[in-house]
Amino acid sequence: MSQRTDLTQHFESISPAEFFYRNRQMAGFANASQALYSAVRELVENSLDSCEDHSILPRVDISITNNGSDTFNLRVSDNGPGVPTEHVPNAFGKVLFGSKYRQRQKRGAFGLGVTMAILYGQITTDSAAVIHTKQIDSPGTEYRLLIDVEKNCPIVQSTCELHRESTGTTVSICLKGNLSRSEDRIMEYLRLTSVSSPHASLSLTIDGNVVAKFGGVSRTPPPPPSITKPHPRSVDLEMMNRLIQQKSKKRLKDWLVDSFQKVGVKTATDFLKFIQMDPNRKVTSLSRDELIRIGSGLRKYDKFENPDSRALSPIGKSSFIVGVRSAFNTSAQYYSVRTASEWHGHPLIIEGILVIGDDFPRSDIPTLYRFANRVPLLYDSSEDVLTKALKRVNWGRYNLRNSSPAALFVNLSSTRIPFKAAGKQSIASIPEIEEIAIALYRDLGRRLNKVLKQHLQSTLKTKRMREFRRFFNLLAVYGAELAETQVPETSSMIDQLFEVEDIE
Amino acid sequence: MERAQSTLRALGERVVQSLSSGKFPVFEIPDRKTSNIHYDPSTRRYALGPSTVKRDSKNTKHVRSMAQLLWAASFARQLLNTSRTSSLRDLYYSSEAFGIEFADQSESDRIVTDLECLTGLPREAFGVFPEEHSSIYGNVLMRYNVPGYEGREIDLTVSPDGLPIGPALVSAEPVRSSASMVLAVESGGMFSRLIETKAWQRFNAVLVQLGGQPPRGTRRILRRLRYELDLPVYIFTDGDPWGMHIARVIISGSANAAHIKDLNVPDATWIGVTPSDIEEYSLPNEGLNNADLKRLDDLTRDVRYDSAEWRKHIDDFRRFRKKAEQQAFSRYGMDFVVENYLRDKLA
Repeated sequence: MSQRTDLTQHFESISPAEFFYRNRQMAGFANASQALYSAVRELVENSLDSCEDHSILPRVDISITNNGSDTFNLRVSDNGPGVPTEHVPNAFGKVLFGSKYRQRQKRGAFGLGVTMAILYGQITTDSAAVIHTKQIDSPGTEYRLLIDVEKNCPIVQSTCELHRESTGTTVSICLKGNLSRSEDRIMEYLRLTSVSSPHASLSLTIDGNVVAKFGGVSRTPPPPPSITKPHPRSVDLEMMNRLIQQKSKKRLKDWLVDSFQKVGVKTATDFLKFIQMDPNRKVTSLSRDELIRIGSGLRKYDKFENPDSRALSPIGKSSFIVGVRSAFNTSAQYYSVRTASEWHGHPLIIEGILVIGDDFPRSDIPTLYRFANRVPLLYDSSEDVLTKALKRVNWGRYNLRNSSPAALFVNLSSTRIPFKAAGKQSIASIPEIEEIAIALYRDLGRRLNKVLKQHLQSTLKTKRMREFRRFFNLLAVYGAELAETQVPETSSMIDQLFEVEDIE
Repeated sequence: MERAQSTLRALGERVVQSLSSGKFPVFEIPDRKTSNIHYDPSTRRYALGPSTVKRDSKNTKHVRSMAQLLWAASFARQLLNTSRTSSLRDLYYSSEAFGIEFADQSESDRIVTDLECLTGLPREAFGVFPEEHSSIYGNVLMRYNVPGYEGREIDLTVSPDGLPIGPALVSAEPVRSSASMVLAVESGGMFSRLIETKAWQRFNAVLVQLGGQPPRGTRRILRRLRYELDLPVYIFTDGDPWGMHIARVIISGSANAAHIKDLNVPDATWIGVTPSDIEEYSLPNEGLNNADLKRLDDLTRDVRYDSAEWRKHIDDFRRFRKKAEQQAFSRYGMDFVVENYLRDKLA
């Protein structure tokens, strides 16, 4: 869980833990069954992010133990790079606001979720979170942490050197939960996580028994996405103010070049001509109205190149297929991707796999599995733009029938996912995204249709062969009966006939 | 019967021989397409031309009907071996037990017709008959050939309801008759009327109830009465294009049975009800409907109507645009049809 320590210098304390605790339903901790699922999810995503930042193949072990009645001990252990000892208290015990101005694809947005899980455990069971971490050059350290909600700061209950076999981090939280109501969701979440991250090995242990293992089927970690500056089309006033604070000595033209991607000296000069601003103005001297003018100019100006998609880490064809096939029985699958697109200055890649397989419900429309930055979205599907797009496609055109149950796995990658609500379960209806999704679905439909047709033809051929064999045998049987002789041997004739047909 | 059996055996032997030498059996069946059906003026009947269709068992589309045909042949063989008969419908239902799927009875009927064409024998020779709906009544002595009744003779006046024309009667030999004509009538009602009113005695006629378009067995009996007992045949039908065509089929044969010989009575006479009868006797009538008019159009193109007499009937129907049933005579009382109409016509 080092990614947050890397960024420490860009963090700032903001309105505290208490706000989030009071609004915990926003973070997915509204009730006992939701809390257990959300805690698993936050810890797993944090672990995966930290491993992938260092190109480590993640191994994440989740263990849930019932401590009696409705109290559970949740332990999530990873093989990541570990957290520097001195950063542990702030990384886990303080609600931090990360710098969102360095853009790169991640599962978690601000690392808020882990702190939320610790806080929830502390409030419901009055016990400290235990963090045991080891970096490559340290023996291993164990922290017992509480959070001072009002002051938004960690309370270190104890810390000691504790041996740990290999690098990585283990977080243990004691919390109130409802396992019987959340176990299925947790399983589904882990299974789908292994679909979008087949390089990760996940295991789930409940009360000491390993109940499920997922993933680990791909041996190559995804290349870490590059960190990029914001694209000019993605600015808002608050972002501009922060960028000005960071680079307060700059003049307007240089500030533009330094702060944004796809803006060089020439582009900056042309842009400033376009909005008729003096390139040599000191940025700190700009009035609020002028900033608003610059901001709307940046969003409108159409000569900026598209945002850099190197900040994204799509799953990719082979990994996605491997992932789907490791989790579901499929008889056929088709991959398609839409790259080089954007929404409001954020690079966007939508990729999808359409699969046929008996694991899926029979329907005339594929079953949709949604992912955002590889994170499976399990709830609020009906409000999601990806679902909306699914319904706008006429699947009947692609020969999709009840007889061939199909599912559609769609992953949306972006430096910013426009979630509809803080629960991060459904993607808002952005027209650009909807159109791209529809184009992707149609492309998949066409690929499927092509193969379904071939499949239908080969089924027909097999049926025709079977029928032929049957009737040809009847011909021999009744011929022999009329002639009052033995039934002549016919199978070699039939084989011969179909060999010839196959060559044709 | 022996001929039928040996024909079926030969069919089986051909198939087995072909298979044993590694060749896919092929059937050549006389073509029943209308383009191959000709009117033969010398025999005065419909007959098939020289064209044939080829069924090749190598062809996945043909093998099914060939298997069905061989099954039908083996079914016929069973009938012959056990001296039984079967209806076409019975044959259709029997197929299910043998894994032979006929889509419907019209398909199995067609396969039976294929078997007739291929072997040159009518299905009656194999013991396959249609459902009964014809009967016969009159002074004729017939001698049965069917097992259990061999040599037994029957007088066709034995039942006041008439006798159904079934497999036994179709295969029976006409022995003798004191009648001087055969009167074939379309409807059952008229048939009963003519028995009850003793019209058969008055005209010294053998009565045959056709029941609409008569089955082949009935047409065969008509032909045998004509040629073996030398009785002229008169046909009395409803006065519409359909009734007229019943008469025409008895006289010249049908396209459906063009492959079967010895079914028609070339010199039979249609006494009516003709379109001009409707006028002359002021019969209660209905106007011709579209189907009737279309039927007239079809008949106009039919070679069987290529004579002045029959042209006139068609033209009269078109002119008067009327049709009447046999029963229409009842308007003038129960006996009018016998006392007046038939007396005029059969005089």
